[in-house]
Amino acid sequence: MPVRSGLTAVLLVFAFTPAAVADESLHAAVDRFIAAGHPDYAKQAAAPADDAEFLRRVTLDLSGTIPTAAETRAFLADADPEKRTKLIDKLLAAPGYARRMAQAFDVILMERRKDTRVTRVAWETYLREAFAANRPYDEFAREILSADGTDAKTRPAARFFLDRDLEPNLVTKDLGRVFLGRNLACAQCHDHPTVGDYKQADYYGIQAFVNRTFLFPNAQAPTAVIAEKADGNVTFMSVFDKTKKTSATGPRLPGLKALDEPAVEKGKEYAVAPAKDVRPVPAYSRRAKLAAAVTAPENPAFARTAVNRLWALMLGRGIINPVDQDHAGNPPSHPELLDHLARAFVAHGHDVKWLVREIALSKTYQRSSEVPAALGDVPPEKYLVAPLKPLPAESLAYALSEATGNTSTDAKVAPLAATFRGVYGGIAGEPDDGTAPTLSQTLFLKHGPVVRGLTQPKAGNLADRVAKLPPEQAAEELFLSVLTRPPTADERAAVAAAVTRTPAATRPEFCGELVWALVSSAEFRFNH
Amino acid sequence: MPLADYACGSAAHAVSRRGFLKAAGATAALGPLGFAAPGAAGELARAQKRVIVIFLAGGVSQFETWDPKPGTDTGGPFRAIPTSVPGTHICELLPLTAARMHKLAVVRSLNSTSPDHGIGERIMLTGRKPEAGIEYPHIGAVAAKLLGGENAEMPGHIHILPGGGGGRADATFLGPQFASVPVPDGRPPANLLRPAGLTADADREREALRQTLTDRFSRSRRSAASEAYAASFAQAERVFRRADVFDLERESLKTAERYGRHDFGRHLLLARRLLETGVSYVKVSHSNYDTHHENFDFHIEQLAEFDRPFAALLDDLSDRGMLESTLVVVMSEMGRTPRINDRYGRDHWSNGWSVALGGAGIKGGAVVGRTNANGTTIADREVGPWHLFHTYLRAVGLNPQRNFYPNERPVPVADPHASAIDEILA
Repeated sequence: MPVRSGLTAVLLVFAFTPAAVADESLHAAVDRFIAAGHPDYAKQAAAPADDAEFLRRVTLDLSGTIPTAAETRAFLADADPEKRTKLIDKLLAAPGYARRMAQAFDVILMERRKDTRVTRVAWETYLREAFAANRPYDEFAREILSADGTDAKTRPAARFFLDRDLEPNLVTKDLGRVFLGRNLACAQCHDHPTVGDYKQADYYGIQAFVNRTFLFPNAQAPTAVIAEKADGNVTFMSVFDKTKKTSATGPRLPGLKALDEPAVEKGKEYAVAPAKDVRPVPAYSRRAKLAAAVTAPENPAFARTAVNRLWALMLGRGIINPVDQDHAGNPPSHPELLDHLARAFVAHGHDVKWLVREIALSKTYQRSSEVPAALGDVPPEKYLVAPLKPLPAESLAYALSEATGNTSTDAKVAPLAATFRGVYGGIAGEPDDGTAPTLSQTLFLKHGPVVRGLTQPKAGNLADRVAKLPPEQAAEELFLSVLTRPPTADERAAVAAAVTRTPAATRPEFCGELVWALVSSAEFRFNH
Repeated sequence: MPLADYACGSAAHAVSRRGFLKAAGATAALGPLGFAAPGAAGELARAQKRVIVIFLAGGVSQFETWDPKPGTDTGGPFRAIPTSVPGTHICELLPLTAARMHKLAVVRSLNSTSPDHGIGERIMLTGRKPEAGIEYPHIGAVAAKLLGGENAEMPGHIHILPGGGGGRADATFLGPQFASVPVPDGRPPANLLRPAGLTADADREREALRQTLTDRFSRSRRSAASEAYAASFAQAERVFRRADVFDLERESLKTAERYGRHDFGRHLLLARRLLETGVSYVKVSHSNYDTHHENFDFHIEQLAEFDRPFAALLDDLSDRGMLESTLVVVMSEMGRTPRINDRYGRDHWSNGWSVALGGAGIKGGAVVGRTNANGTTIADREVGPWHLFHTYLRAVGLNPQRNFYPNERPVPVADPHASAIDEILA
């Protein structure tokens, strides 16, 4: 666990709202705020998820795959009242946690952009190590925002800039979206037309941190690093302004004061002066100020955005939703909860694993996804019912490998995950909500050789195992392996009948088709 | 963005040769499917609007097509011929098209602003100048979303292209379900057909179980995403059942001859079949017009290949009563220079070239805009790709003023600073 700094200890003093109980755990506070967000919450909310539903959900969320049939049997049979907490802690301690978070933060930070200047392998390794060590999120963000690509050790961290080609408008937009919860793209040419809080001056204030940076030696080099000039100012003009008034801004984050910039003596602008084939280093670097400014306690947007994105990862939607639309016109569904989470996160040293654990422990997270019969409309922002979250591309690959009884070691599944990223990974540079199935995906699943190779019988895999069982035991093995639950009586009977009427000669292949039916069901496609 | 894969200076620049008279037997052989209904364009399908874009990749010469300048220093060797529209002449390389000119409108004063393959293509297909921070969807994704919608029977955006490739970055914020389904070289989409070893019976049985499981799951759980997932299997099934649409052997020999047995002819015939099954948008790419060398020889060859199937397409759409509801656009990423270089080539040119449109909502026979006597500048009614984009939308009855709401922020469907070219709208 990260060590608390003096500063965060001071912040602790403010960490409790008046209604809070002393020593209240964060997960208890989560449930308190969520319940307070709906007049009739206790009556309307879904029942707690049963053990099978919880096991599948938390395993997918914390390790990016599903449990084995043996793990499922053991968990369902376990009578320990603390077994859910123990499972959460086991998953958080396992290597799957870092892999899963690395996959999630790859998407959050890079949105499936092509790896041109930092390889995917280097980037994934970097992320995985960061989450395995549970590095404080502010420290992690500072490295992402300050690495310049010259040091091999931290070059992967510079991917945020390098693989956005250091394009000033793209970088400005995504700094706002990823770290500040604000999509200021519309404010590039004028104040945002519909969002009063998003000003053109805010957009260019962010841009002023990076307006002097460029790719050295040139943008074409795959080994390019980030360099900076000592001069260059940001000016802007609204396209709506008939008077054509030009404004200027120095580096400034939305809602905060502009940076105090030192006066640099003429002739001493550079620590390393620009020359042919020389990477210049300015005496005063604007970009060097970015990391500290973004993660400073004076900038509440940073922690607020971090907790909101982590919440969305676990609960399927942000307290501010979409997660990059933090403004007065789009208020949080539970403003006090968001403030509370952000304060607690800071007080706890920006500890990602701790926050994820607390969310997983909450009753809110552990609700069933089954809508109570009496509940008509289900407003998703009330968190009455657990959401259905489509499995991200990588989770789908890992879960499918596990479910079908094929190898589930990282080395073997990684190439499969790459294939699934190509088919299910969404569009580069666009937020991946995973909600829109494409024809290519469905045909890939229905007829493609990759899925067929996993579902059809091979020595020791699920189809092979099931084919060797007496027909009345087939369903049990299939359902526990793929759907992490025992079959219902109807399902048991239907599968037994279907297997029985299949001639022995084609039974193994037919069992493969049964496996396919289970992995193609909505129950498998979604984390529910 | 899918950039043109033939960068200037590359070997491919010298215009790739096509597999002429490719054996018709090379078309994927599809098993007998039982329920094939080729050419069934019902009443409903006739009312539904569609778009076909024929993309002359590499940059077609306006001089050798829609805006000939015979007898001038820039005109080249070809004559201008009269068309079915009195007073309108086009290049003699398009005789069959000329006879159908009353079905087409031509815009001769296009300034597309970028003489670059990749940027030009993007501008022409999005109707927007590139902007940092936002990628606009291509007209195909827009048409698929606004004409076909989320629950369309068939995928709404299909791209038939020579060779392989085909990206899906063309839907951007509209989402991957509106991205192009690539049909490389006219072959059916990947994994369309049942794999060997999966019998129809086993397929039926496993589908029934998948359906039962999904129904049980969905009884107590509601989400738009899970409904869309369930619906995607039905769509895949429909496309699979219509796999016959990709089988050009189902067309008569006579029809195949009318389109021509070369790649582009086959591709255009396939496009017609797809439009008939209710696909909202089909783009057919014809390569390669990037004629820095031997512009005239290559245009003879390329346009001969274009003219016949294009005429056949117009005739078929007319005969089937589909032309009134199908917008036909012939475009490129740019035009070619008036100046003829020392290799008898024409280079990249964006300031004053032509696009032809026909069908739904278009006033046949209209000609808009003018270049000067030798085509070196726009003399009248300059328009940009943004005006064309508005025109496409209006032609198929869509409101260009409406917004999309990616991430709940409004983004105008078409460039708000432009408007449609009213003179060519019916």
